[in-house]
Amino acid sequence: MTGQIREQMSALLDGELPKGEVDLLVRRMARDVELKRAFGSYVLAGESLRTPGGVVASKGFAARVSAAIDAGEVAVEAAPPVPARPPLRWRRPLAATAVAASAALAAVLLVQPDAGDEQLFAERSGAPATLPVVTLPAGGSSPTPAQNQRLAGYLVTHGQYATPIGRRTAWSNALATDPGIARATDDNLEAP
Amino acid sequence: MPMANFPPADGSTEPHEPRDDSARPASGVEQSDLELVRRVQRGERGAFDLLVLRYQHKVVKLVARLLRDPAEAEDVAQEAFVKAYRALGSFRGDSAFYTWLYRIAVNTARNTMASRQRRPLDYEADLSESEQSVVESRMRHGDTPEAAALSDEIHRTVNSAIEALPEDLRTAIILREVEGLSYEEIAEAMECPVGTVRSRIFRAREAIDRSLKPLLD
Repeated sequence: MTGQIREQMSALLDGELPKGEVDLLVRRMARDVELKRAFGSYVLAGESLRTPGGVVASKGFAARVSAAIDAGEVAVEAAPPVPARPPLRWRRPLAATAVAASAALAAVLLVQPDAGDEQLFAERSGAPATLPVVTLPAGGSSPTPAQNQRLAGYLVTHGQYATPIGRRTAWSNALATDPGIARATDDNLEAP
Repeated sequence: MPMANFPPADGSTEPHEPRDDSARPASGVEQSDLELVRRVQRGERGAFDLLVLRYQHKVVKLVARLLRDPAEAEDVAQEAFVKAYRALGSFRGDSAFYTWLYRIAVNTARNTMASRQRRPLDYEADLSESEQSVVESRMRHGDTPEAAALSDEIHRTVNSAIEALPEDLRTAIILREVEGLSYEEIAEAMECPVGTVRSRIFRAREAIDRSLKPLLD
């Protein structure tokens, strides 16, 4: 019986064992140390015949490889999948906030109407050319921290909940009411 | 035997299967390897041990040649086998397993050399089996005295065992191991059934094993 198994093992080494016999043999060899030793000896004899001398793996090499695999608990890894794109959900509020902040900045930088603009606006809208004077709190014309916080909160909230189309429409409408802003925006869009 | 395809000099450790082998028919050994690989891929861990046993000497020799340091060749070869095991899931069988395994071994040796900032041996060129044999025989000069002595002892023992074999067994094992003929080709050359060839080769191996066992125990 053992002779038959070892003959099968010899044929396996040469790639001449019928496929139907491989399964049982491989399973038997996996748990039979002596069979594995003999298999290694067959291999070594062949190597020695083909290339006399030279480096050969030491006696316990295969066992060390096996132990290293076991110790590292490495597993056969499947083919690496195509890296999936990171989820985009986190980007939405961030992007909306950035757009909203940009719009706010544009408004601050670009909406500085001079007297001529006020007159033109008044003529078109029918509103009084001279607006009533509002007395700001002491400390100058800068908004208070509370006002800043409130404005920022509004912009962030608006950016989070408004749909992209809605945001674009709202900002377009706001910007389009002022020719200066509309012109500046068009210039930006034409930039490469 | 097919030419070994060595990797590009991009420092990659990821084995890529060469595609230019697809046109040639796979040998029995390659098919046997592939069968073992498929078993490992299905979770039969023991099948990989057989692949290690089959290729351990070739891989250790190759790595020793690249590193020029036989003392650390086994450590690097071991690392290469572990990497191969881990990557086996991506092996599709487009190339021979040993070609794929050699590629991993070469890359592992290359990384070892790079990490030590040593100049690598020129392994960009494809080496045929015969060229490898020549280089490997020259590599003996780098063996440790103990390893060289053991190799010589093994070689002498194997040769003595071969010389002591009956002629039909000796012819069969030499045609198989040295000439690389298939059982069918040997049967044709020796004018006997394939089953007889299988039996003769097995008996020759058993005789050699009996001689080698005391040396390796």
